[in-house]
Amino acid sequence: MPYRLGNIFRTAATAVLIGACALIGTNIVAQADSNIAGKKVIFVPIAMGISLTEGWARRMREHAAVHGYSLDVRDAAFNTATMAELVAKAISEKPDVLVVHNPTVQLLARQIKQAESEGIKVLQINLQSNQPSAAFVGANWERIGREIAEDIVKECGAGSGKSGKVAIIPGQLTAADSVIMNEAAFKVFEQHKEIEVVSNQASDWEPEKARQITATVLQQHPDLCAIFGHWDVHTMGAGNAVKDAGKADSVLVYSTGGGDDVACKAVEDGIQDRIWSYDADGQGRDAGTMVDLLLQGAATADGSMMIVDSPMKIIKAGEGFDPSLCWKM
Amino acid sequence: MNSTNAANAAAMTPTPRRGVGRKNMLERVVAVATLVLVVVFSFSIDGFATLGNLRVILSNSASLAILSCGMAVVIISRGLDLSLIAQMVAGATIFGILISSGVTAPAALLVAIVAMVVFGFLNAWLIAYVEIPAMLATLASSMFLVGLLRFAILRGEFLLLLPKSNPTVAFLAGDIVPGISMPVLLMVATLAATWFLLNRASVGRVVYAMGDNFQAARLAGLPVRTSTIVVYVFSAVTALIAGLIMAAASGAVDFRTVTNGTLLFDVILVVVLGGIPLRGGRGGVRNIVVGVALIAIMRNGMTLMDFTTQTQDMLKGLVLLTAIVTDNYLNPRDAETDTVGDL
Repeated sequence: MPYRLGNIFRTAATAVLIGACALIGTNIVAQADSNIAGKKVIFVPIAMGISLTEGWARRMREHAAVHGYSLDVRDAAFNTATMAELVAKAISEKPDVLVVHNPTVQLLARQIKQAESEGIKVLQINLQSNQPSAAFVGANWERIGREIAEDIVKECGAGSGKSGKVAIIPGQLTAADSVIMNEAAFKVFEQHKEIEVVSNQASDWEPEKARQITATVLQQHPDLCAIFGHWDVHTMGAGNAVKDAGKADSVLVYSTGGGDDVACKAVEDGIQDRIWSYDADGQGRDAGTMVDLLLQGAATADGSMMIVDSPMKIIKAGEGFDPSLCWKM
Repeated sequence: MNSTNAANAAAMTPTPRRGVGRKNMLERVVAVATLVLVVVFSFSIDGFATLGNLRVILSNSASLAILSCGMAVVIISRGLDLSLIAQMVAGATIFGILISSGVTAPAALLVAIVAMVVFGFLNAWLIAYVEIPAMLATLASSMFLVGLLRFAILRGEFLLLLPKSNPTVAFLAGDIVPGISMPVLLMVATLAATWFLLNRASVGRVVYAMGDNFQAARLAGLPVRTSTIVVYVFSAVTALIAGLIMAAASGAVDFRTVTNGTLLFDVILVVVLGGIPLRGGRGGVRNIVVGVALIAIMRNGMTLMDFTTQTQDMLKGLVLLTAIVTDNYLNPRDAETDTVGDL
């Protein structure tokens, strides 16, 4: 509980700080220009070439251009060994801020600690490591896991007339989002004994693996009520398997994602039913603002991590479907 | 003797003792292991022994079987095609981009086939005429192909989404008649084409001769270079077929299948487990079927038992090791089998 209160306090403090900057916008920008121009920021994402990271990079580049600091993007191309090497090289270049996108909770923990000890401020984006750092901007995975699980209980639980059977398709069992969402979801399901998780198998983020898992599970459990995919991209495969099996009307497909126009298209086409979007475009803007603040020396009073939780948008199929909830690159 | 006569002479020689005798003990071990697994899973897993699950097994293993046909033919000729998965993704990307931009399905298919034939030819040219070892030539061409497509055509994107609303995509993933899907039909057609190539076409005899003793085949005047072209073009076309059905079924062409996936190892695993030695010269369609059957049954059973992906990988590796050790015990190496590249 004290930890959670601390988190809430830090989130509120960061939000107030960002809000204050926005209120006195022009003065801050002018002041920031003189203070942070010429500084160096390195961003190491898991991979470029996906809407999520391209959306973040676009907004962060805008901030860099406005304030006159440099932003280098180093693409790890989904290769964890390459990523560790790129982060090591980035640390050796002594940037003012290092932005990392952790593939697992453990992979970059030691390097984040090393960077911080060498005076490099580390901003973790969307996926958090076990190792705290100067700041985190991203989705609140506990909230997403809990909210989706509660929605599944509402749709498939007692009184719904459904089987209560749920299949979960994480990306990787050690990825931060998968770990936290599964913990939160299982906490909810444990209070509702009518919900049965019949499958919990990682797809390695690949649509084809998600499709094969779903096709097999649907065969064993034709009365499956819901699928909870941890990323909208690999959940495309699961949704297609549901559609091919002719069960699009009886199986609800849930996922989470950055909320670009592809997500809205998937909902429109009936491939997925409900997507909890953390709005990658907005996250990119938040990350850019946080980099600006870090370059200006912003920090919490006790040196703990500054946290910005991304606001949620829920994209739902049916009458309330709103394509304006999605953003386009 | 000119090359045509040599090929005819090769065609008239008795078929090598493929699929029989001590040399194919691994195939028998794997076939027995598959049967044991089927019996155990039937009694222990709810929903395993059903017609519906058989359809899922066939549908899920179609692309693996098709890719294994291409790889098996290459390996029998004492080659190796490490660009197989890159070609699969490349073919599906070309087809996907064309149909998404409004090109008719037959025209898109024709362009994709031509592109794959050209790519297979280039691989074969590097191997047969420039005389670069197959492993290095196909590894380099795989990197080149993926880089070219990602940055020149997809502009850095990792994924190409194919909407099911497109009738061609729906056709490639759907049922031809109730109970028989297009992927399964294409798998059967590819297995039949592989059987024909290896057993009825004269190039098939040359392929076995190349695998048995490449230098002897060349010195005997057999058309080893043109046969290499046939082998790698065949492999490229099987990759295209597998790519089309995989992309249509999952609604996405995913380049991570090449860069991070384990599909290439699965394909080699199928070929080796089925009893086709990496040094070539032996094996056939029956070996491919046996290898695919074991992997498909294992994957299906483990998914039904809700095993994690890591556990599944570990068990697949354990099965491979067990099969090879058993084969080594039952079929000890001798002066003939203990050659470079032999397993």
